[in-house]
Amino acid sequence: MRILLAEDDPMIGTAIRTALRQDGYVVDWVQDGGAAGRAVVIEHFDLVLLDLGLPDRDGLHVLQTIRRAKLRLPVIIITARDGIGARIAGLDAGADDYVIKPFDLNELAARIRSTMRRSAGLADPEIVLQDVRINPATRTVLRAGLPVALSTREYAIVDALMLRPGTILSRAQLEERLYGWGDEVESNAVEVHIHGIRRKLGTDFIRNVRGVGYFIAQSEQTA
Amino acid sequence: MSSIRGRLSALLLLAAALTALVLGVVTYRHTLAENEALFDYQLRQIALSLRDQGVVSNPAGADGNDPLEVVVQIWTASGAMLYLSRSGDPLFTQAVLGFTDVDAGRRRWRVFSLAARDRVIQVAQPLALRRDLAAAAALSSLLPLLAFAPVMALLIWWLVGSSLAPLRRLAQELAQRDAASLARVGGTALPQEILPLTQALNDLLERLQKAFAHQRGFVADAAHELRSPLTALKLQLQLLERATDAASRQEAWQQMHQGVDRATHLIAQLLTAAQTDPHDTTAQLAPLDLSELVRSEIAAIYALAHTREITLTLDAPATATLTGDAARLQILVRNLIDNALRYTSAKGQVQVAIVQRPNGISLIVDDSGPGLAAFDAQRAFDRFYRGRSNDQSGSGLGLSIVKNIADQHSAELILQAAPLGGLRVVVHFTQAIHIESSGN
Repeated sequence: MRILLAEDDPMIGTAIRTALRQDGYVVDWVQDGGAAGRAVVIEHFDLVLLDLGLPDRDGLHVLQTIRRAKLRLPVIIITARDGIGARIAGLDAGADDYVIKPFDLNELAARIRSTMRRSAGLADPEIVLQDVRINPATRTVLRAGLPVALSTREYAIVDALMLRPGTILSRAQLEERLYGWGDEVESNAVEVHIHGIRRKLGTDFIRNVRGVGYFIAQSEQTA
Repeated sequence: MSSIRGRLSALLLLAAALTALVLGVVTYRHTLAENEALFDYQLRQIALSLRDQGVVSNPAGADGNDPLEVVVQIWTASGAMLYLSRSGDPLFTQAVLGFTDVDAGRRRWRVFSLAARDRVIQVAQPLALRRDLAAAAALSSLLPLLAFAPVMALLIWWLVGSSLAPLRRLAQELAQRDAASLARVGGTALPQEILPLTQALNDLLERLQKAFAHQRGFVADAAHELRSPLTALKLQLQLLERATDAASRQEAWQQMHQGVDRATHLIAQLLTAAQTDPHDTTAQLAPLDLSELVRSEIAAIYALAHTREITLTLDAPATATLTGDAARLQILVRNLIDNALRYTSAKGQVQVAIVQRPNGISLIVDDSGPGLAAFDAQRAFDRFYRGRSNDQSGSGLGLSIVKNIADQHSAELILQAAPLGGLRVVVHFTQAIHIESSGN
């Protein structure tokens, strides 16, 4: 899962990026509003962590850009502006959540998960498809009730495909979720990870539409 | 405790008492003078009637109860007592014709003596009677005043009190205020005697309000600004807790050290900013050598420039004397150089110069950083404004502090493009200066 972090403070940005990477997210970090506004329209992100006090362009302005572009991109505001007015303005401008600095990294992670869940239209924190159950909070994967160990990138692919069952994601779209700016993309990496997943979760778990991409079928369809 | 009401009431009563006293004395003297003529006329009439009648009867009712206490003596030409209106010895024996005052029988008498054919008629009356009557007349004229005195005292007390009511209302208005209320006082019409007081009070309140607003703004800004380093510290602490291997733990420790350094720097700058508040007028101005001051500041900061591989140079005359607050100018110089170093990348240049101008002396700090482009010139001097260069964890207070100190020295602060490509800050002190020829 790929997150855009828009935060001008170098120390806070470094810490958040480090923590989210430890949680297995792909994090791209921009330090001003202009870069954030450009990044969201050019690249795919699953979520934006948006600081409001950005140097050149206010975070709210970036948020308006995102909403005006009709991007269904979950946005969590992280800011030191704790006034009721600022919170209302942020949420009304289209933010999905509002986190006030200083915050707890674990709470931020939980809010990212809940925002992702809601944007995918899920009520249950665990996602179940076929005989596979994943828990985004603990990043555990169960197959037929037995734990399965997936690598970070394997988990990211499973997570991306399970959030929207039946939706086909192309290799490029999957790569976008796996690699941030500056990451070296191996030519057949996605295929290698898919192979690994199939080995652990069953050959038919992820299906391939030749020349288009990959998807995980709804449970009913496999019955 | 002095009370205007008590004092005014006492003084007014005293004035009233004095007026009454003067009135009494005047009445007494006036009555006395009037009675003089009247009683003299009376004595004379009695004497004349005694002469004309030629009969010695009881001239003024000699029943011993004569309220006028008139004594009549009639002598023969040979000096024998012919008639005496009272029992006993005659009052006196000598006779001067006309009116005289005579002491007799422990009293002083008014005597009218009249010579007629064969005898001398003397009519006498005690002078004390006249004074008693005058005193009685004076007293009776004062009586209404005396009776009225308590009423007048109450009236004065009430009048003074009601005249002072606006003051009391003002005091109540002020007493009912809480500490935060700095609104103007005395909205309703006040007597013109109190207006200067409320005017001065309102001026003071206005100044206080401005100072409070400034302080409140500063505290709010400071609290807001402290959030960032504290957020960073909290995140860094959590990363440290999460760290599982030695390398990431080492990394997290290092980050935390930087975080603490940054918070420390911010707090030091906040303190400096509070001390160099533009409303503060405690600057201690004395002649000082700007060249020497800048030299010692550069010496202090040189190590930092060296580690960052920045060339830091000074071009200044041997001495440059100006009048200023040495401690604050040190802060100004340190902040300018510190700022220049922060915004300049490794292997860059920072050049400091002191230049004599016809109308004063200029301190110039040039750097090879991003320059004016990174600034919103309108906001550069605002508190906590950092420009766009966030790679350096500055406090955002440096230029604001510099501006405050420059203002305190009536110095002009100019931001320009530096020949080095970065920012040039000029602090121009417009005052009489003394520069000795360059020593370096």
